[in-house]
Amino acid sequence: MSDDINRSAPVEWSLRAYLLLTFAFVFAPIAASFVFSFNVDRFPSLPLGGFSLTWYQQVAADPLVWEGLRNTLVAGITVSVLATALGFGAAYTDFRYNFFGKSLYLALALLPPTIPVVILGLAMLAFLANIGLSGAIHSVIIAHVVMCAPFAMAIIRLRLSQMDPSLEAAAWNLGASQWVAMRHVIIPFCRPAIFAALFITMAVSFDEFAVSWFVSGLNETLPVKVLGFLQGQVSPKINVIGTFVFLTSMTLVILAQILLMKRGTGGKAGQ
Amino acid sequence: MRKTVSVYGLTLSMPMLLWQLIFFLAPLIFLIALSFWTVRNFRMEPDFNPGNWSRMLGRSVFWEAYFRTLLLSASAAIVTSALAFPASYAIAFKLSDTARRWAIFLMVIPFFTSYLVRVYSWQIFLSDNGIINAALGYVGLGPWPMLNSTFGTMIGYLTLSLPLVVLLQLFSLIFVDRTLVEAAHNLRCGRLRTVFEVVVPAARVGLTIAALFCFILTFGDFVSPLYLGGGDPPTLSILITDTTKSGQQWPRAAVVALVMIATLLVIAFAAVRFAYKERGR
Amino acid sequence: MTSDPLVVFDRVGKRFGDFIAVEPMHLEIHKGEFLAIMGSSGCGKTTTLRMLAGLEAPTEGEIRLAGKRINDLPTWSRDTPMVWQSLALFPFLTVRENVEFSLKMRGVGKDERRQRAEKWLERMQITEFADRNVAHLSGGQRQRVALARSLVTEPEILLLDEPLSALDAHLKVRMQAVLSNLQRELGITFVYVTHSQSEAFSMADRVVIMSRGRIEQVGAPQEIYRSPRTRFVAEFLGSSNVFAGRVTEAAGRGILIETPSGAFAVPAGAAGLALRPGNEATFVVSDDRMQLSGARPEGGNALEATVLAEEFIGATAVVHLEGPGGEELRAQKSHDELARLTLSPGDKVWMSWGPEAGHVLPGR
Repeated sequence: MSDDINRSAPVEWSLRAYLLLTFAFVFAPIAASFVFSFNVDRFPSLPLGGFSLTWYQQVAADPLVWEGLRNTLVAGITVSVLATALGFGAAYTDFRYNFFGKSLYLALALLPPTIPVVILGLAMLAFLANIGLSGAIHSVIIAHVVMCAPFAMAIIRLRLSQMDPSLEAAAWNLGASQWVAMRHVIIPFCRPAIFAALFITMAVSFDEFAVSWFVSGLNETLPVKVLGFLQGQVSPKINVIGTFVFLTSMTLVILAQILLMKRGTGGKAGQ
Repeated sequence: MRKTVSVYGLTLSMPMLLWQLIFFLAPLIFLIALSFWTVRNFRMEPDFNPGNWSRMLGRSVFWEAYFRTLLLSASAAIVTSALAFPASYAIAFKLSDTARRWAIFLMVIPFFTSYLVRVYSWQIFLSDNGIINAALGYVGLGPWPMLNSTFGTMIGYLTLSLPLVVLLQLFSLIFVDRTLVEAAHNLRCGRLRTVFEVVVPAARVGLTIAALFCFILTFGDFVSPLYLGGGDPPTLSILITDTTKSGQQWPRAAVVALVMIATLLVIAFAAVRFAYKERGR
Repeated sequence: MTSDPLVVFDRVGKRFGDFIAVEPMHLEIHKGEFLAIMGSSGCGKTTTLRMLAGLEAPTEGEIRLAGKRINDLPTWSRDTPMVWQSLALFPFLTVRENVEFSLKMRGVGKDERRQRAEKWLERMQITEFADRNVAHLSGGQRQRVALARSLVTEPEILLLDEPLSALDAHLKVRMQAVLSNLQRELGITFVYVTHSQSEAFSMADRVVIMSRGRIEQVGAPQEIYRSPRTRFVAEFLGSSNVFAGRVTEAAGRGILIETPSGAFAVPAGAAGLALRPGNEATFVVSDDRMQLSGARPEGGNALEATVLAEEFIGATAVVHLEGPGGEELRAQKSHDELARLTLSPGDKVWMSWGPEAGHVLPGR
């Protein structure tokens, strides 16, 4: 809207500048990690000491790092599949059904991200320990599914709300059973959201350190190892691991966002 | 909508329900029981011992940590909301549609990156021989100690919650009826005044929820107060981690956790009530 | 109404990129008049109003309020309160706080504010709702809050952007009376934008008809009705019978036009003076000037038409007919008159009108 006289150019520009500053603040630590991972100095500071790949070599040679990475990957992939499956079922349930206690169901499904991780970590540690399931990779998997399933559910639910609800009914009307309609109508429509959910839940699991720290015991995931390094002396290896971790999460999130921005066919607006 | 229960429906809905009941709700409820257990010879035994509660709530360390955490999180909620607002306002009102989509896209990214590594990176920036002090050194300004202080903790809290707060505020601001802004201008309300008299009240729900989430996140965080704030005096979250890992005193940690949950419930309830409160009869 | 214009649009135009919303126009608004700006959507009427309020900036020309140029004044520095179509009441304030809003913005003290707002709450008969939240009021009550809110500063001019379009029929009629009475009592200028012909014509002292960014005609309702200046206006009003034909005689103040339905005498008027025999011409006769009879009337303009249908619009009825030349014709009659005629579709009836009832249109 060209309400030129009601806007003031200096105000407009300072607001935009402020926005850029905000982005700078948010991305600065990520950028610093990247830059200093190549810095030859042990203590990161200005001026930069010089380009070097030594820290990358050191990290690549560290078996503890590989062990952490392996645990993280195993957990991440398992978590993303399980969480997406659970989230899909819950999203579809919300989409299709109305029943007594539905709001309690939804609350239970969506509440985990609102509980502070330190409390969740303690509760899970104590509980899993008492039923003999703590201190192993499956403990991390169990806990992460609790935390990631809500994200998957939200993403898929959003996609379902873009679907014409009569599509499913049309399939039944033409003779498809519920399972067949699910396979040939719902799932194809939700496909971008399902993949986005897989990526996002993987990213969340990938970076999760707090609850993992509580429950993983000796089978530490990568973030837990980073936590360990943090308590030791300054180590530029963290910059390397950090860069790797950032690149992985960012790639996953960017892919997920791209998938969610595309509107497939069968949506409400057009057929 | 079918009223009868079907295998199809149950297969899809039950897994999430069962999983969260067993692995989310049960552990939290178990915390209550745990807080009454006794620790004997480094082993935990089921008990009905209120001693953990009296012991923990009787220590001044606990209450100092409690009020310190409360104060820190409340400050974080206020500071983050204030710092986020010009940014979310700019995105909602001052960008073209395309630019706005890009801004949201970019703001979502850091939300999913490792908080831990970002905190470590801030150590690079804030330490006495870090980047900021080196830059200050060039212009002859003395090294300013920024780590191991409340300032450090706040920077960490900002790193944790700023993207989320911006996004939540943004979501509310986008839906503010623009004719209300025009009407305010028409009724002699200038630019800045309109923001406070019209935009903020109209977006009250989103702004309050954003502040609430910031409070919840920072209330439970132990990384920032520990690695950027020095860890001393401790926050409630640090108390929990210390008590759990070094002391193996899980029941005592459970007491702290339960007090935290109760506090958060009260604050969340009050915040939501405030957010949705209507003016007039 | 004094002769001093309160508002002058001096060659004011508005363009959005390549799209011309308002073509450079000249319009004067007089003090104390009720002016309606009317047209279908996209004609530029709302843009014109918003330029006056300062919500849009003209791309060319100058707007003057009480003699002073206001182009560069931001909205909050102008004294042009507006009532929105959606009313734009602040949902986070009570009725009283909404009404007091502009006084608060001007720095009026709390007690004085309350007093002045109270006066207007009483005047608009909404005192009993003063402390309620605006969301709990009915449509008519919200309208009155919006009016009180805009008028509390006692401005010289009030702008209204289709405020009645969301109301249902009987409420609309009631609010029209409220607005007309209010304007007359206060004696201030109302600028009222609408797409409804009946609203504009029943409330306004003068009407501006706009189409595609251009002003088609300005004048009192009766004047426009009787003498539409262009074929667009005639057809837009929909209440005129349009005849097209060729001039056969042009002597003095009357001309004779030959149409497929017959030859008719029409006063030349301003537009007809330049016409010569052989020229093409169009004239209109408004539907309430049409007489219907069973037998051919003596002399004057008459034609035999076939009845198509009857349409009931409130207290009157419109008879739709087809002329011998295939034209769509209409005659407005009261229910009594219609009862006396007893017409059915397919009947033949004589339409006639006096020689002074026709009106020649300029150009096409």
